[in-house]
Amino acid sequence: MNKLRKRNGTDRWVALLLWLAAALVVATLLWILGDIFSRGLSGLSVEFLVDEPREAGRAGGLGPVLLSTLLVLGVCMAAAVPVALGAAVLLSEFSLGRRGFGRAVRASLDILAAVPSIVFGLFGNAFFSQILGMGFSLLSGGLTLACMVLPILIRTTEQALTAVPDEVRQGAAAVGLSRVTTFKSLLLPAAAPGLAAGFVLGMGRALAETAALLFTSGYVTRWPESLLDSGRVLSIHIYDLAMNIPGADDRASSTAVVLIALVLLLNVSAMAIGGRRSPGRWSP
Amino acid sequence: MLPRALTVVLLTAILVGLGCSSPESRDLAIEGLTGKLVLTGSSTIAPLALEIGQRFEAENPHVRVDVQTGGSSRGIADTRNGTADIGMASRALAADEQDLLSFAIARDGVSLIVHRDNPVRELSDQQVVAIYTGTITNWKDLGGDDAPITVVHKAEGRATLEVFLGYLGLDGREVQPSVVIGDNEQGVKTVAGNRNAIGYVSIGTAEADAATGVPIRLLGLGGIEATSANVAAGSFPMARALNLITREKPSGLSTAFLKFARSESVHDLVEAHFFVPIQD
Repeated sequence: MNKLRKRNGTDRWVALLLWLAAALVVATLLWILGDIFSRGLSGLSVEFLVDEPREAGRAGGLGPVLLSTLLVLGVCMAAAVPVALGAAVLLSEFSLGRRGFGRAVRASLDILAAVPSIVFGLFGNAFFSQILGMGFSLLSGGLTLACMVLPILIRTTEQALTAVPDEVRQGAAAVGLSRVTTFKSLLLPAAAPGLAAGFVLGMGRALAETAALLFTSGYVTRWPESLLDSGRVLSIHIYDLAMNIPGADDRASSTAVVLIALVLLLNVSAMAIGGRRSPGRWSP
Repeated sequence: MLPRALTVVLLTAILVGLGCSSPESRDLAIEGLTGKLVLTGSSTIAPLALEIGQRFEAENPHVRVDVQTGGSSRGIADTRNGTADIGMASRALAADEQDLLSFAIARDGVSLIVHRDNPVRELSDQQVVAIYTGTITNWKDLGGDDAPITVVHKAEGRATLEVFLGYLGLDGREVQPSVVIGDNEQGVKTVAGNRNAIGYVSIGTAEADAATGVPIRLLGLGGIEATSANVAAGSFPMARALNLITREKPSGLSTAFLKFARSESVHDLVEAHFFVPIQD
């Protein structure tokens, strides 16, 4: 009896601690959002979203910065998604991917995922900007980011594909479907939610990136006219306004609000697309 | 047959187009400057250079000035290897960097400020170090009132902080601040509102505020008054030059830009960034 009460007491304490831990996480998030929104929300307007920055960002808006961000993100995803899909299919669907070669690829991906982003920035500057002659440009920034998000994209895609039960593949083989058809019509739709999650993770990492882009896509705040122009992304703009420009703290908060809104928007739409294409297609 | 005819027409059009466009671009080159300049380097200078570049672009519509950042050392390295046409360095060139040419576009001076009613007129470097490391904590030890000193210090990453620590040979971790502030205006307001405070801000800001009646006083250093004029002349010690760097004697577009960046027409931009313009 005594023991039981004691155990119940311990359980209650543990439960309380778990609640506290969860509450702490939520409180941190609310604090950050509350702080940024309370200081940044008042500075938002249509002009802020479409105008060019003036006075080094203390006045004007962030139109070109927003466009550059979207272009860098577009280049990154256009380059990374096909490569990631190919590598993930090899790792999960081919016997080669389950042997020594596959293990080597997985190991190198895990190492690549742990490389600090500034290292990718210096690599991108040396390889894309200098050796390939792209200079400071949205293209070299996007490609550098692509290298950076590849490990996340490949591993999440691979896991999504591996999670599709083998019975699906065997059933498809039994009715004589080709492997390409099996992949296109069965595996891909089944893995879609996992793919969307990986896509969102990759984009989140790309949007948050400062160090990898400072030396590749650069610092220029002019409207970009081509992918070979240099253009500043939102995270670098925030860093510069907060740390480098006196009297621009409010602008930094407003820019942060825009960045958070962009991340949320992309998350929600990617989840919606991934969710819509989920299981239904192949389950009876 | 038709496709081939079409090809011929298209090719002709392209050739004619090329023929038309080349004299046009030659005209532009005669009319004004064309081309692209890449600047990299000091994050202190980058925002100013960005604005100078925008104004230069407005006056020369066929010129692009791309300003990148990354720090003074990167600016020097990029200028050496040709990645940048012009580097930006917020310090003088070191002994092993004398192969490069430097052109000052502004100076960055930092002044100690106290409240206007504070009787202390001047402090030695040792006294300032003692105040900021917490060895002296009362104004009466410095010939002032019997009151505790409120030490106002800058947040990490501010250019004025680097100049201040660099001049006094202090490590940021040794400083014992009472208040940590962000930008210059905040420093001026903190000292103006506290009779016993001491702080340091950009000279340009402090002068402008003192002139409009804000109750602060700029303290001299080593017998030299803290004024923009002394910073511009290079005689005030707690200051540094903001330099543009080139690998060889600049030519063409670089010359025009360097001349513009050192001219009267950008002095308002220099002052807006709380730097002191160069007086030729």
